[in-house]
Amino acid sequence: MNSLMQILALIELSITCAVVCIWTLQKFSTNPLPFIAKVLLVLLIGNLLFWPLGMNLPLVAYVRGVTGDLSIVLTLLLWSSLLPSYKPAPLTFKFAVAIIALCFYPFALGIGMVDPYAWGYGSIVFLATVLFIALVCGLVNWSKGVWIIAIAIIAWAAHWHESANLWDYLLDPFLAIWAICACIGMMYRRKRDKARSGYLFRPG
Amino acid sequence: MSRVIALCFLLLAAVIGFLHIDSRPVWAPFAVVPFQADEAVEESTTAKNKSSIKAGISNPQADWLPDTGNPSVHAASLIALNDGAVRAFWFAGSREGAADVSIYSSVFDVKSAIWSAPTVVIDRISAEKGLSRYIAKLGNPVPARLSDGRLQLFFVTVSIGGWAGSSISAITSDDEGLTWSNPQRLISSPLLNLSTLVKSPSVAYTDGLLGLPAYHEWIGRFGEFLRVDAGRVIDKRRMSSGRSAIQPLVFVNDAQDASAYFRQTRSAGSPKQIPVSHTQNAGQTWQQSEDLTISNPNSAVTGLSLKSGARILVLNNIENGRYRLVLLMGEPKVEKWQTVEVLEDDEALPDAQRKEFSYPYLITLDGDDAHLVYTWDRKKIRHRYFSGAWLKQAFSKIQAETQAQTQTQEANASHQEVQ
Repeated sequence: MNSLMQILALIELSITCAVVCIWTLQKFSTNPLPFIAKVLLVLLIGNLLFWPLGMNLPLVAYVRGVTGDLSIVLTLLLWSSLLPSYKPAPLTFKFAVAIIALCFYPFALGIGMVDPYAWGYGSIVFLATVLFIALVCGLVNWSKGVWIIAIAIIAWAAHWHESANLWDYLLDPFLAIWAICACIGMMYRRKRDKARSGYLFRPG
Repeated sequence: MSRVIALCFLLLAAVIGFLHIDSRPVWAPFAVVPFQADEAVEESTTAKNKSSIKAGISNPQADWLPDTGNPSVHAASLIALNDGAVRAFWFAGSREGAADVSIYSSVFDVKSAIWSAPTVVIDRISAEKGLSRYIAKLGNPVPARLSDGRLQLFFVTVSIGGWAGSSISAITSDDEGLTWSNPQRLISSPLLNLSTLVKSPSVAYTDGLLGLPAYHEWIGRFGEFLRVDAGRVIDKRRMSSGRSAIQPLVFVNDAQDASAYFRQTRSAGSPKQIPVSHTQNAGQTWQQSEDLTISNPNSAVTGLSLKSGARILVLNNIENGRYRLVLLMGEPKVEKWQTVEVLEDDEALPDAQRKEFSYPYLITLDGDDAHLVYTWDRKKIRHRYFSGAWLKQAFSKIQAETQAQTQTQEANASHQEVQ
């Protein structure tokens, strides 16, 4: 069971790394890649990362040594970015993740005796809060968010990863950094657009 | 329509999530029996006691753990085996944190007082393969006895950075440590699972789970109490906060009450004493309390409870350096500790020649005696054995002294009242 979990975790991370490679490739490419090309690239890069290829460990094991297992939310967000019908996550979601991460990490890493990370092991209130957030995603018509959070909860209950803590299925530092950067980027763009719109030079 | 399907799926996830929470074990009381002596242990110790009675009270014995051929050794720990022997674990390599560091083990036969040849329990490469990730170094082996009789060995691994980047992993053995399972990673931190280490022995719960005192030493330096079920952390509680206390050592007082003594890591100018935390609900919540007024130079503390009610501590009772190691004894009710034996002392030597005596680890086989191991100048591991008779004698002496002191104090007080 343990070895199967390890293999599945390596496959999952191989695919995620391949998706990140394609995402980076697209950032520098003028023409968008067709879906089938993306799938083939994921298969190619994923296999290169997953198999040891004569080394002591596969390349993805070195990545895993640093990152550990990524959260289900980040993994599914990344994977879904390959789909032809991909729509970016709503800004409200990014903002919520950024706020939660900024409140969560300082306390989880040792400020004071309150440890919000411990809620993830079996707090009904915490689970209810997560379900409420998922419900809000559904109410604002972001069904993908509902699916992702629901899958993360099921993965936690099924011990999909090594962690028994729901937080590890919902949030990780990379997701937090992505959300915080997205919020900062959005604020910068708004400020810039406002400046360009010329309101500063309107005649009084 | 897609939204309705998504919400139905969320409902399913909610039901599964609540059922999962409902299936979790409730927080059980501590198992208060301080040790589990089986017949074999009793037989061997009875024989030993008889022989010691014949020969009078034997002085503490000392020897060395077997040489692994490596220049650097550290962090030894012990566990009692079912046949009455003692198994030791420690890490050794070209230097602390080097890639060639492995965790070694050896068995001490209490009858012949001989250590077996050391064997490698796990090295970096096998840890990498078992954990399916890159591992840079290993350290801090801490054994535990599971409720089903198997041995479990916790140890720390580092993939990137120094010891502050550690995570805990565990292996189990069905044959008293001859062979070991693949390692399992314990997840205990939300930031890439970085910076959770282990040093002190675990405590048992009545439901068979373990309470593992662990600590963080990266952004914060604080203790955490992990509730571990078969190599998986199922809950945890903070024992201290800030940047001042690591390597908690837990003394169970009763089914609900326990005290934790820490290695202090305070900044200059702060008291160099042993920080303390208490729990009154079997580890569910911890409160920091007043320091134990024993000097601590930022070095590990070990201790155990004996059948007689006495508690012993082994530590460096100085504010700087690790050149003196002492054995203290006290009663849990009277938080007063007295030095029973100075185990190592290089105070007379110049600073440059002083050796380091650190990372002590204690166990008892029968509740009366004590086996101690500690790092001797990072070159060897020293083993000392204190017989039950010797410890009892020391404890009686302390009790007599304490009584005499109390009587003197009372007499002085009444004399002053009369005046």
